[in-house]
Amino acid sequence: MQIDGVTIADTFAEAFTMRATRVVITAKNARWARQAATTMTGFATSVIGCKCEAGIEREVSERETLDGRPGVSVLLMTMDKESLPQRLIERLGQTVLTCPTTACFDGLPDAPDRLRAGKALRVFGDGFQASKVIGGQRYWRVPVMEGEFLVAETFGMQKAIGGGNFLILAEDADSALAAAEAAVDAISDLPGVILPFPGGVARSGTKVGSKRYSSMIATTNDAFSPTLRAITQSELPDGVNSVLEIVLDGLDMPSIEAAMRAGIQAACRPGVRAITAGNYGGKLGPHHFPLRRIMGAAAPA
Amino acid sequence: MSDQVVLTLRVPLEHRLEVDAIVPDRFPALVTRAIAALPVQYGGRPAALSDFFTVTGERSDRVLVQGDLAWAAGLGAGMAGGELVIEGAAGRDVGAAMAGGVIEIRGAAGDNAGGALPGASRGMTGGEIVIRGTAGADTGARMRRGLIAVTADAGQGTGGGMIAGTVVVFGASGPGTGRWIKRGSIVSFGAVVRPASFRYACTYRPPHIRVLLRYLATRYGLPVTEAQVAGRYHRYSGDLAELGKGEILEWAGA
Repeated sequence: MQIDGVTIADTFAEAFTMRATRVVITAKNARWARQAATTMTGFATSVIGCKCEAGIEREVSERETLDGRPGVSVLLMTMDKESLPQRLIERLGQTVLTCPTTACFDGLPDAPDRLRAGKALRVFGDGFQASKVIGGQRYWRVPVMEGEFLVAETFGMQKAIGGGNFLILAEDADSALAAAEAAVDAISDLPGVILPFPGGVARSGTKVGSKRYSSMIATTNDAFSPTLRAITQSELPDGVNSVLEIVLDGLDMPSIEAAMRAGIQAACRPGVRAITAGNYGGKLGPHHFPLRRIMGAAAPA
Repeated sequence: MSDQVVLTLRVPLEHRLEVDAIVPDRFPALVTRAIAALPVQYGGRPAALSDFFTVTGERSDRVLVQGDLAWAAGLGAGMAGGELVIEGAAGRDVGAAMAGGVIEIRGAAGDNAGGALPGASRGMTGGEIVIRGTAGADTGARMRRGLIAVTADAGQGTGGGMIAGTVVVFGASGPGTGRWIKRGSIVSFGAVVRPASFRYACTYRPPHIRVLLRYLATRYGLPVTEAQVAGRYHRYSGDLAELGKGEILEWAGA
């Protein structure tokens, strides 16, 4: 299969089940909402080293938020449901509670599993906090030097999928980056998906384990590293000199598929030789995203 | 089962009519005849609901009451769910000690709306009451939880002895508003006579007010302005003769 001259490999991305919550951060203006969301989702690229993965899902308009202020929707994910509450409490407490003018709302109000993050954060108020029930949702008003921090008592948690991915194999680093940027732009407005790596792009794809260091759980993906083509079992086609990876976490398979479809379509541009994906032979992750099936709807006849 | 039960007042009331049997969450188990037979008291004498109301519909927790019910006491008292809409004025004790559900009064409400029953330490413990008109004395008195919104003036003792919850008054609030409250919020857009035992804290834009007022506008169509939603409020803490964790939020303009 080819799209605009770019080969779509006959392979699939392999992804894992995660647990996710969605937080809608509002603020006096979009600048401060973005600032809080950016800080909250910092250092959350991979569960391997960050204990969680997080990203900005989309900007939320004043018309959509409960307090009528501009907002940003954030997704936060962990590998298990036990650790998600703690990650959420840490990040809300350190990055949103501290940020001027912000308030925090539950972005998954219909999810039956609840994380009591706001209830945990209320104790920052040292007994001066107060609760308010509005429209069936309990909020905590935490007094702070600026005024008050408003936070929902609970946040919904649901199953999610982490590790959707595709690799952009390009003739040079500039072409790879341009294609990755185009892919990120195409995905950025789609709901239910985050791209947790810097700017949505990872240059350091991994393989499981190490050939040399037993303590390492993930090391460089030497099969796709151009500088190692001559000394390792390379999977790079001729003419490929740079590879970038787009990693996608999403609330469900359709969201990830839609994002992969949009991203791959955008990445098929001059200088790109092929699009492929990372997997472990289908043995580790229960969620598979076959590239050619996903692109079937978008491919030219 | 029908969409709603409609109770239409057939005769004008000249004496107090005790109608604390009109509790929507109990109606889903009742057929029309059973609703008609519910006990009421008129001028202190026992009677049946059908002596005063035409009953249509059955087995629904949505109840519409039509007529001038300024003499009807205890509408929705103790209700725990469902929806009660009163097309007209309501008498005293409407929603007293209610625990859940919604009461919407499309007219004035009498004294003790959402308040406590005689001898009880707590008023309403949940639910929402929207009064599209004036409210009498002791609105929300001793309420423990819940929301009351009054679109016009509220009488003396509004929110008196509140334990928690929220009372929003779009008009003026009478003397003694907030007296003896432990926690809870009284939001006032008109003149409010604060007890001396409240102390000024600050003037700010409370973030929960934005959510609350937008909710009232969206859910009930109350005429909330952007100046109120985003406005500044004087915060007075009180009652300092009590726990002191309550507040009167007095709108200070945009």
